[in-house]
Amino acid sequence: MRKGSILTGFLCLLVLCLSAPTVCLANEAVGVDTDQKLLGDESDGSRALSIHLIPLFSENEDGEKGEKIFPDNDPLLPFSTRWTCGGCHSYGIISKGWHFNSTAPSVVSGRVGQPWIFVDARTGTQIPLSYRSWPGTFKPEQVGLTAREFTRYFGRHTPGGGAGELETEDPDEIMREYISGKLEINCLSCHNAEFAHNQGECFLQVARENFRWATAATCEFASVSGSGKDMSDTYDPFMPEPPEDPKKVPPTITYRKTAFDKDNNVSFNIVREVPNHRCYFCHSNMYLDKEDAEKWSSDEDIHLTAGLKCVDCHRNGIDHNIIRGYDEEAGITQNPLAATSSCQGCHLPEGEDEPKAGRLGAPIPTHPGIPTVHFEKLTCTACHSGPWPRKETILTKTSRAHRLGTLGVNKSHLALPHINSPVFAQQPNGKIAPHKLLWPSYWATIEDQNVAPISFDTVTEVVAPVFVDIRLPASGDWPELTAAHIAKGLAALAKSVKSIPVYISAGKLYELDDSGKLSEEEHAAAKPYLWPIAHDVRPAAQSLGVRYCTDCHDTQGPFFFGEVAVDSPIAARRDTVKKMVEFLKVRPFYTKAFAFSFVFRPWMKIICLGSSAVLAGVLLLYALRMLACIAKALTERD
Amino acid sequence: MYQTISIVAFAVTVGCLVLNCLISPCKECWRHPLRKLVQLFTLLFIEQKLSLMGVLRKLVYLLALLCFVVLAVTGFYPTIILGEHISGYLVMVHATFAPIFAICLAVLAVMWARNGCFTQGDWPWFGRIVQRVTLVKSTGEETHYQSSCLGQKITFWLIIFLALPLILSIIASMYPLFGTHWQELLLAIHRYTALVFALVVIVHTYLVIRTQTKQ
Repeated sequence: MRKGSILTGFLCLLVLCLSAPTVCLANEAVGVDTDQKLLGDESDGSRALSIHLIPLFSENEDGEKGEKIFPDNDPLLPFSTRWTCGGCHSYGIISKGWHFNSTAPSVVSGRVGQPWIFVDARTGTQIPLSYRSWPGTFKPEQVGLTAREFTRYFGRHTPGGGAGELETEDPDEIMREYISGKLEINCLSCHNAEFAHNQGECFLQVARENFRWATAATCEFASVSGSGKDMSDTYDPFMPEPPEDPKKVPPTITYRKTAFDKDNNVSFNIVREVPNHRCYFCHSNMYLDKEDAEKWSSDEDIHLTAGLKCVDCHRNGIDHNIIRGYDEEAGITQNPLAATSSCQGCHLPEGEDEPKAGRLGAPIPTHPGIPTVHFEKLTCTACHSGPWPRKETILTKTSRAHRLGTLGVNKSHLALPHINSPVFAQQPNGKIAPHKLLWPSYWATIEDQNVAPISFDTVTEVVAPVFVDIRLPASGDWPELTAAHIAKGLAALAKSVKSIPVYISAGKLYELDDSGKLSEEEHAAAKPYLWPIAHDVRPAAQSLGVRYCTDCHDTQGPFFFGEVAVDSPIAARRDTVKKMVEFLKVRPFYTKAFAFSFVFRPWMKIICLGSSAVLAGVLLLYALRMLACIAKALTERD
Repeated sequence: MYQTISIVAFAVTVGCLVLNCLISPCKECWRHPLRKLVQLFTLLFIEQKLSLMGVLRKLVYLLALLCFVVLAVTGFYPTIILGEHISGYLVMVHATFAPIFAICLAVLAVMWARNGCFTQGDWPWFGRIVQRVTLVKSTGEETHYQSSCLGQKITFWLIIFLALPLILSIIASMYPLFGTHWQELLLAIHRYTALVFALVVIVHTYLVIRTQTKQ
């Protein structure tokens, strides 16, 4: 009987031991494109750091899992996150996360966000692009950019995935894609806490069309040289032959041999909570409010200064459905923490079952003296975020628009694209929020008042030669275009496009009339694109209204009457400005009159307080007289 | 909630006044309605016999009445009719007339307080109420004129008394002293005090008109 139990137990143990690797192998096989959770996708509850001592795997020529990487392999291939990280973390689930799902048509776009800005100073082009359906942006294909081209331009500041992994049907692109590979999700771009991780390498590799090598190039134990872009269409990275031109170097990776342990596993310093500086690579802002706008001269977001991390609020689970942090998000996203991770969710929590206040140490604001109507008409960010409003909006650089943090970036304040901030504008939910603003400039065609941008290839081919003599400033600013240049460009385009060519810039639509003269008109397609500013949040003591109502309600105050610079390559248009009030959807006269009434507000207070004192005095006097009468009457009766 | 309460309160008050008109009608008004209307209209004019102080008193009274109408319209129209907060030009007009009204009230309080003092002539009316409550037989007769006077006095003092929370609640909210919760409370105090204040002013005006037309 006892022997039987021991035998049964031993058999069970044997079965368990044998099944463990089978499960792991099965996980690896199904892990890539399924929505099944894998070994590393569910926490066991330990908050300790998970050690990632793992083998590296490459992707083979069929796009499947390749061989385990040894530092002396030949050819030595870059590791693939799909197959290296995907062994334990479901690549399929992760790829549906916010940072990777922009190309998925079924994803709800939510509140408008920062677009990708395609810039070409030579042709006077500055156009907001996005795969998301944000009003005011254009889909890359609308300007003739394929997913691959889009990746080539903007993949530098993405964590991979999305457009970088879209399939192409163009035979030429298929051949180039075989060489370059796809721009896989780069898990390391966020989760690698190693200080030697160099995300800037991603820019170089993307520019060189070394998409397959981009992830490995950023990590601390690999270096990549060569360029896939230089290779001929027949080059095979899986069986590389030396190129005919000795000056051209094929994409080549070298691993630091000491990174591999005796089992040829590599240790990654992977953290679940992404360090702030990883977020900053793509989400930095530089407000050019002074000549010397160095980092040391301005403060970070007050939350970071207080010791929080970006991911304390912008949280996500394995689905990478990260919280963006705006009010309406809770109704759109599946992330259960969205409602409690917005400004209000943390600082003004609601909930009767259990106290929610003080989460992450968030102070509960009292807003003394602020009429409650402000909370109905303004977002929290209106008073608390972005640079303090000035008489004129300021040029602003962002990582993604100006490729900050990459090699050879133009540090001039005037470098394109020109983004202005803060612009106080009404959001679709009716609330006023600070925004960044971009004036689109692009060549288009018009048909029944429908404006459609012309393919960038056509513009380059037709317009660029017309403007070939125009000097491009070294600062990266616009060239000095005139109305005559625009007329010439339109005339040239008229021969190449079927519909009527137009030029959109500075909020206007330019077209040639029947006599060949340039005419301009306001047009909806020329409206600026605005997206809300959420950070940097200023300390409460630096919020709007902290001094007095006239921080905003002033007849000359920048909140209502600040000047929003109009940007355009057309030199004559550059000095024009629009008043902030135009973006707020409020009546200018009323706003001015209301602001003017604050001049008399102190008088009103004095008058009302004085009148109240008189009224109280009269009441007190006659109350005392009444008491005296009663006392007298009572005395007389006695 | 406030909208409903306001509508009901105004309806009840006006209903009561109409009922009062029907129960104790002014016979002269029914006989010569046009004459009474003209007489009512002439109440708005300054009588020649008035002294300088009397003229001033009447002017202030009329100005206060005008301010009240403006404040009531600008304050109650958006909340009762539109069902929204006061905003836009209405709030500007409201805030412009409010301090004038406050001054008028202060001046009226000083000038009319003596007239508003309760005298022995007011007591029989009080006595009647006491008698009704205690079921004791009446010992004397009092006229409508007297009761109107007492009503005027009561409403006058109520106006003076209610003006304080009405003014102070909104002024206090303009100082950085009270947080959001208190701001809401102060606003609620202002709104509900304004409602009671408006009702009292309507009753007071009705009583004044009745008194004047009977004289």
